[in-house]
Amino acid sequence: MLSKEVNDLLTRTDPGTPMGDMFRQYWIPALLAKELPEDDCAPVRVKLLGERLIAFRDSKGRYGLIDEFCAHRGASLWFGRNEEGGLRCPYHGWKFDYTGQCIEVPSEPEESGFCESIKLRGYPLVKIGDILWTHMGDKEQRPEMPVWEFATVPAEQTFTSKRWQECNWLQAMEGGIDSSHVSFLHSGNLQTDPLFRGAGGNKYNLADKKPVFEVVESDGGLYIGARRMAEEDQYYWRITPWVMPSFTMVPPRGDHPVHGHFWIPIDDENCWAWSFDYHPTRALTKEEREALEAGYGVHCKYVPGTFRPLQNKDNDYMMDREAQKRGETYSGIWGIAVQDSSLQESMGPIADRTKENLVSTDNGIIMARHRLRKAAVALRDKGVQPPGRVKEHQLVRSVAKVLPQDQPFKEACKEDLTVRPGVKQTSV
Amino acid sequence: MADQYRPTMLSSCALAATAAEARFRVQYPNSKARVSRVFALDQHAAEAMYAITEAPWNGAHFLTVTTRGDVVPDETGIDDLPLSTPDGSPALLSEELQGANVVILLSSQHSNAGAAEVIAREAYHRNIMTVGLTLGQGASDERVNAVVNTLRPFTSVLVVASDNDYVPAMLSALRA
Ligand code: FES
Ligand SMILES: [Fe+2]
Repeated sequence: MLSKEVNDLLTRTDPGTPMGDMFRQYWIPALLAKELPEDDCAPVRVKLLGERLIAFRDSKGRYGLIDEFCAHRGASLWFGRNEEGGLRCPYHGWKFDYTGQCIEVPSEPEESGFCESIKLRGYPLVKIGDILWTHMGDKEQRPEMPVWEFATVPAEQTFTSKRWQECNWLQAMEGGIDSSHVSFLHSGNLQTDPLFRGAGGNKYNLADKKPVFEVVESDGGLYIGARRMAEEDQYYWRITPWVMPSFTMVPPRGDHPVHGHFWIPIDDENCWAWSFDYHPTRALTKEEREALEAGYGVHCKYVPGTFRPLQNKDNDYMMDREAQKRGETYSGIWGIAVQDSSLQESMGPIADRTKENLVSTDNGIIMARHRLRKAAVALRDKGVQPPGRVKEHQLVRSVAKVLPQDQPFKEACKEDLTVRPGVKQTSV
Repeated sequence: MADQYRPTMLSSCALAATAAEARFRVQYPNSKARVSRVFALDQHAAEAMYAITEAPWNGAHFLTVTTRGDVVPDETGIDDLPLSTPDGSPALLSEELQGANVVILLSSQHSNAGAAEVIAREAYHRNIMTVGLTLGQGASDERVNAVVNTLRPFTSVLVVASDNDYVPAMLSALRA
């Protein structure tokens, strides 16, 4: 349980809030690169951390993320004309460049220099991998570019999707570190999903339904280890790294691609669930890519032309009671992604944590909240930069491994938990 | 999905997971008070624990294992383990475990393996969940690893926290 004050502190990310300021210390995913496919293409409306913005790619291929509303009388620049090195408001013709600087006010004499005094707020937008990343904080405090492995391996080795989730970012992210729900909610998928089935480690999951958890802090966040009994007095470990503020990776299965997530606030009652799959050392196969695009694994199917899942709260997530009865799916909902989002959205737009009854297996969640709270307060009160901004914290991997019983996983898996270029993931 | 099963009112199912719907959630206490028992296994852990025993807890008891020498589990019966409350008076493990929901073993520099085993054994026989919390503050990695290794067989959740302030954070999260 959390007090209302702490719940508010952790869940609110509008400008000027402590957690909002914290998110503004990082490079965060803003759009899929394919949303801005070519120079002078249509601008895209983007809402992030409670700010309404417009993303565009100008005639020279420069990406911009600027205030959505024209500085003249506030019309949306989504209607704008993206042409000749800038975005022109169609109302009275004011024109802005990719930084938000006004570069033309047709009604004023050019020599007056009036337009130089007008500037919209603008953030950098940089393509790394399949994603356009932004940093919405102070330019002076800008961290180095992100180096997450999934975004930096060659394009044929990686796949990223995003889906709109209609609830606060924190309850969505907590699902990513809540290892104890997997044995229930997703239990139907282990043997059927093309991106899971057939892994050697699955037998331990299915044989030992009651894993034991170890939560260990790392410099950038946490490692959450779940262990199950394996042969000959050994443990089968599945280790999930969490890097602040909202990056998680699922432990691998066999040689399947490894998946993970970013949860990014749109506003306090909506977030983007970013999902990726990649293989550190090989191209994804044709079958894998087809499965990923079809919404298997941690991805989903969409309402055509949108990033809203096809199964959403307006259709009760296409609940199938018969499948629930047959045990094909545990909750009756198809697909891992929507199994999660359906329950997380049902908790309410912003989960009321004053009423929850946590138990000791929720320690991963308790520790993550504790770290977030401490970091947000240290930033607010002392200007201390939060963990997760530097490459040492970002070069993490999830691990699945069988270890002797008396080995602490953080020590024994030190190398496996770190990105090693050219070396594949440690998996069973 | 048959249409007659569609919700008819704003508040009648997940369809209504909106801000407007949130006001229909019933406000009432949905749990009884928990019975939590915290055992500090060594001096450092006891200090971290004593720093917070004053806070308004929901009935948690804070106990210190006061034995200096090694505890041999096989020779130590339930009430042979010397325990002390924050005001210095002695306590009996059998009474402390009576009706407990959760046992928290707090350790730092020394694992006090024998005492941990006795408490965990008795908790296990009574179907009480045992959590190990190791405090890394001021301890070397080797020490922490040694402590964690000793606690591993006895606990169903094990946490290694770098700061002592995780103790109150965890206890309040668990409504201790
Ligand atoms: S069982 Fe966990 S939310 Fe209901
Ligand atoms: Fe999940």
